[in-house]
Amino acid sequence: MRAGSCGSLLRWLAKRSYGCAQQRDTVFAVSSGHGKCGVAVIRTSGPASATALRRLTGRDELPRPRAVALRRIRDPGSAEPLDRGLVVWFPGPHSFTGEDCAELHVHGGPAVVSGVLQALGRLPGLRPAEPGEFTKRAFQNGKLDLTEAEGLGDLIHAETEAQRRQALRQMEGELGQLYQRWSQELTQALAYIEAFIDFSEDDNVEEDVLTRVDTAVAQLDRELRGHLQDGRRGERLRGGVHVVIAGPPNAGKSSLLNLLCQRPAAIVSPVPGTTRDVVETTLNVGGYPVVLSDTAGLRDARDPVEQEGVSRARDRLQQADLVLAVLDAAELAPQPGRLAGALQAVLPPSPPPRPCLLVLNKADLLAEQSRGALQQACAGDTLPPACLLSCMTREGTATLLRLLGGQLQHICGDPLVGSPSLTQTRHRLHLTSCLDALGRYHRGRAGDLVLAAEELRLARRHLGRITGQVGAEDILDIVFRDFCIGKKAVFKGTRSTTGLGWSLLGAPGEEPSLPQYRAAQSIGVTVGRPRVQPLGPSGKAEGPAREAQVHGMYMGMSGGGEGHLCSRVWTRLVNPVLG
Amino acid sequence: MAASAAVALRRFLPVMPGVAPSMSPPRLLSLRLPPPWSRRAGSDAAARYDVVVIGGGHAGTEAAAAAARGGARTLLVTHKIDTIGQMSCNPSFGGIGKGHLMREVDALDGLCARLCDRSGVHYKMLNRRKGPAVWGLRAQVDRKLYKENMQKEILNTPFLTVHEGSVEDLLLKEPESEHPGKCQVSGVLLGDGSKVHAGSVILTTGTFLRGMVLIGLEKHPAGRLGDQSSTGLAQTLEKLGFAVGRLKTGTPPRLAKDTIDFSILARQWADSHPVPFSFLSETVWIKPEDQLSCYLTYTNPKVEKIIHDNLYLNNHVKETTKGPRYCPSLESKVLRFPNRIHQLWLEPEGLDSNIIYPQGMSMTLPPELQEQVITCIQGLEKAKMVQPGYGVQYDFLDPRQLTASLESRLVQRLFFAGQINGTTGYEEAAAQVRCCTAAKLVLRLLSHIQALRILPGQAVNALRSCNHFDVWQGIIAGINACLRVCGKPPFTISRTEGYIGVLIDDLTTLGTSEPYRMFTSRVEFRAFLRPDNADSRLTPRGFEETGCVSRQRYERTSQIKAAIEEGVAVLKSLQLPPSKWSSLIPEIVISSSRSSPVRAFDILQYPEVNMELLARIFPESLGKLAEWRELAERLKIEVVYKLCTSNQQQEMEEVRRDEALRLPENLDYFTINASLSQEMREKLDSNRPQTIGAVSRIPGITPAAILNLLRFVKTNRQRTGGIKVPFRTGRSLPERNTDVLGKSEFQSSNLSRAF
Repeated sequence: MRAGSCGSLLRWLAKRSYGCAQQRDTVFAVSSGHGKCGVAVIRTSGPASATALRRLTGRDELPRPRAVALRRIRDPGSAEPLDRGLVVWFPGPHSFTGEDCAELHVHGGPAVVSGVLQALGRLPGLRPAEPGEFTKRAFQNGKLDLTEAEGLGDLIHAETEAQRRQALRQMEGELGQLYQRWSQELTQALAYIEAFIDFSEDDNVEEDVLTRVDTAVAQLDRELRGHLQDGRRGERLRGGVHVVIAGPPNAGKSSLLNLLCQRPAAIVSPVPGTTRDVVETTLNVGGYPVVLSDTAGLRDARDPVEQEGVSRARDRLQQADLVLAVLDAAELAPQPGRLAGALQAVLPPSPPPRPCLLVLNKADLLAEQSRGALQQACAGDTLPPACLLSCMTREGTATLLRLLGGQLQHICGDPLVGSPSLTQTRHRLHLTSCLDALGRYHRGRAGDLVLAAEELRLARRHLGRITGQVGAEDILDIVFRDFCIGKKAVFKGTRSTTGLGWSLLGAPGEEPSLPQYRAAQSIGVTVGRPRVQPLGPSGKAEGPAREAQVHGMYMGMSGGGEGHLCSRVWTRLVNPVLG
Repeated sequence: MAASAAVALRRFLPVMPGVAPSMSPPRLLSLRLPPPWSRRAGSDAAARYDVVVIGGGHAGTEAAAAAARGGARTLLVTHKIDTIGQMSCNPSFGGIGKGHLMREVDALDGLCARLCDRSGVHYKMLNRRKGPAVWGLRAQVDRKLYKENMQKEILNTPFLTVHEGSVEDLLLKEPESEHPGKCQVSGVLLGDGSKVHAGSVILTTGTFLRGMVLIGLEKHPAGRLGDQSSTGLAQTLEKLGFAVGRLKTGTPPRLAKDTIDFSILARQWADSHPVPFSFLSETVWIKPEDQLSCYLTYTNPKVEKIIHDNLYLNNHVKETTKGPRYCPSLESKVLRFPNRIHQLWLEPEGLDSNIIYPQGMSMTLPPELQEQVITCIQGLEKAKMVQPGYGVQYDFLDPRQLTASLESRLVQRLFFAGQINGTTGYEEAAAQVRCCTAAKLVLRLLSHIQALRILPGQAVNALRSCNHFDVWQGIIAGINACLRVCGKPPFTISRTEGYIGVLIDDLTTLGTSEPYRMFTSRVEFRAFLRPDNADSRLTPRGFEETGCVSRQRYERTSQIKAAIEEGVAVLKSLQLPPSKWSSLIPEIVISSSRSSPVRAFDILQYPEVNMELLARIFPESLGKLAEWRELAERLKIEVVYKLCTSNQQQEMEEVRRDEALRLPENLDYFTINASLSQEMREKLDSNRPQTIGAVSRIPGITPAAILNLLRFVKTNRQRTGGIKVPFRTGRSLPERNTDVLGKSEFQSSNLSRAF
């Protein structure tokens, strides 16, 4: 009897909290950017949001749902005023996460923000959010589908304008809608063929349904093919276009890298073969993300170290989305006819042909007439777009950037035009499998109808995996791999080699690798060059590490020690500083 | 009791009639006589059986036979021994998807397939041109013969006793603590006041039917209402809180064969080489040339007009109760697909029967109008209606209250088979009604229905489908009732193992809102779950886990299974260069780019190639294999689907993994600490899925909800013992019960890997 009444009480409580179990934590975090700013937005999500809002505003009544109200914000313990700011109350399920949410818009100074965060942290049932937790909760409460969640993740991580536009489109579900439409068409085709198998003997299912299925599948085949043949522009836009600088030794490739990233990232010397390893940096060119690599000069080297460098350069060329072929203008000026041959030696030998820009460096050494001859030689249709440049005098930089911007736009496409682009390798993988299955359907139609139908099922399954409409384990795999735990996977990889934190930070002057870049990005450290440095001998961070400390502090607070990286950053970077 | 049951249920070899071991209970020689124990009714020594089956319809007979085969001393209680084995409305067995079920029932040594091989009058393999995975074996069955054969079979089954009488009530006692449920059934109270104790009880009667017969605007209660003998049972079940739903269906009018002009109709011949249903039958009983034919005719605009003009006279069609989408009445076909002609099949009811069953003509118009409709159809212009068609509405037990072994969650040891999927048994009586005027006819019909106390398990599907859903239910309920008595784990079939598994999972997880019909498209692994390999899929399991399969069948299956494996190995070992193959078999096109030798295994996948052809090329290695005709055919099918099935292995593994993630039966979805919306919680609560796999098939459950539930299950698995899973309140589960469930429910070898 007692058990019964207790149960009904629990059930009543559960119902009151919109079905979210009453024991579920309430999480909070700074949702706006990090660092000093005018206004900082602190968000809470979970059943205790209402209590938190009441305690912090010191009033019993909540503001009108989804309307802004001005309130004095106090520390609930000491009743000491912390700030005056705007508060918004989003009762679930009509909120971003689907749970009760509250937002506090306070002044952005670190003292105010940390004061409010500490006050929230002292309230019972509240804890700092893990990275990505708000999105995760939104997904778990059915507010977002997987592509939308991925889009949101990208939107937060978007560094350039074009990335932002694409991510926004994906988050709004356009990509998901496209895949869902295909999935529906496939389902319909499958339904026809199933009807033919199960009913044609008894009921009037006409033979022509099979023809309709064939037509629908052929149409889908075309659309998928078109979608896949977009030159990977969505993925490039998301992950960065790989631009590789290549050319003979001492042509000025490293100088070009330093020029483009506006700092001495690569060592430059007049000795040919200075660059041995691949040096990588990230850039924002005209709104498009670029991963720029400088490579060893291409020649038949004797030195084993240089041989390895040349081989790495060739590997990198194979992966290039765009090649910046750097040639020595002064050397070629006497014989402009050798241009084509020199370029051919630099370009990756195997297909597909990659877009290329011809950069003729050392223009400052050219006499006026040979300059004209070179320009004339480049004007023909046979050579890629070319520009004369002097890394020394910076002459021609504007032209190069304009040409580069044009090429990038061509490669990435305009994210707002046409059907939404593929943004993830995961999508490409499943779409390709789907297309393969459709092809097998066409081949198998003449034979066993069951096997043909099986291919359609398989195709639909692959489409379903993209938006997360498939079996439970699959969804779990996808989510853990690509969505929130994806970040952790990167962390683990990094940690296993050198021990986390340090490997992320890298040595002074060394560019972070792509995984490091991503890892750093995921904790909110903006990377492009090593802004984070290891602690100096004094145990205090030196120089550019300041910026990282600020990020680290917020991550530490909002991460609450969750996730390997955040805790490490906290202990290694922030503690000594605060201490 | 348990000990004696265990002895009786030791690995059991089939006992031939007449050589029953001494521990076999006395069998009744004359079934008209009251059984020996009933003479002692009222005395303290009440009769004791391992399994009691209530109802002698398709479900009841199959269940009773299965339990008895498993070695359980079984009592079948039926109102009338005479009606055992009576065919329902549709004189046919099998079909697309349903032929698969027949094969699977046969693989578990069920009765119906073997009986069909001995009573069919028209055998036809449907879907011949669509691939062996969806071939649907179907037969028109002679009602009289089938009934005779069934009675012979049932009355000669060792360990099985038949009692003619009624069941008044269930005997209930305290529940066993380690299983969920309010109480436990311990026996039945018979109509004559005597008690029969039982280890488990299988209910296959339509106590709950509240059947309603509808013709035109008339409505008459039918079924077992007012049936004194069963009100106790009905009330008990109602009191226990079983939920019911309501369905509707219909049956066509019957026509007199000698008044139909078959000469102008399209004739459908039976197969010239009838394929038997049972793996044990070499051939069917009838000579191919002696088989009867079916005929095809069509509706026309005149039919449509009559139906349209008289809709106001048609209660059944207008009402909202859910009817079948798949085998709709003529009225709903006309309403849903106007201006089209619809097929009507004229099917024979037996070798010496004058009745024709017009398949597809199920209707509920007033009888005079039905006659009008009939006479404007080609070939039926002068046809005489022997009996009008009518609609039926009835209650059915919500199958979601059952576990996958068909045991009810509410009452331990009480199994259901038959009505749970919405089958009724009104047809029985109806078939016997002779032609007379319409008004009298309805009265006659109703009196018949009531007098015969219609048994469920005599199905409804008005289309060319048949009632053996009851058969599988019966066989599964029978096997599990028997296993339950000796305390063995239940025998369930997964979606990856058979159509039966798909059917049970669909019904017990999703419930049903219309009479359920089996389709091949409901089955995820259709290329693997084929009619030709039902024996190798199920017979070994049935033999090893339940003992309900005879050793003879088991050995036969093992033999052919081994032969197929060997055959595949031989085919893979035989290789020739592509050019050689092309010259030997010019019909096939081998990709010219291939230079490496091609295996005979790959060549057999071509539609043009069969084992005979290959045997001519490799007489030494393949000659013997090709001579064994059954083996040769099965090898060919096996090879054709081999690639597809091996590709599906991973997917099947995923399904199995999901199915291995069991959810505690008593989980209170309203209080568990998982992020689930109220809507999801309600859905989960009403469907009570047993595994995560089942959750993923509930419509409207979002991927996110599955994920959260999965996480909940996994977390609890990890913290086993440390955490208490909240269980549904209102049930007095002892404290230790929660712990037991928390542990045992998640025990599975698959799980450790999955986590």
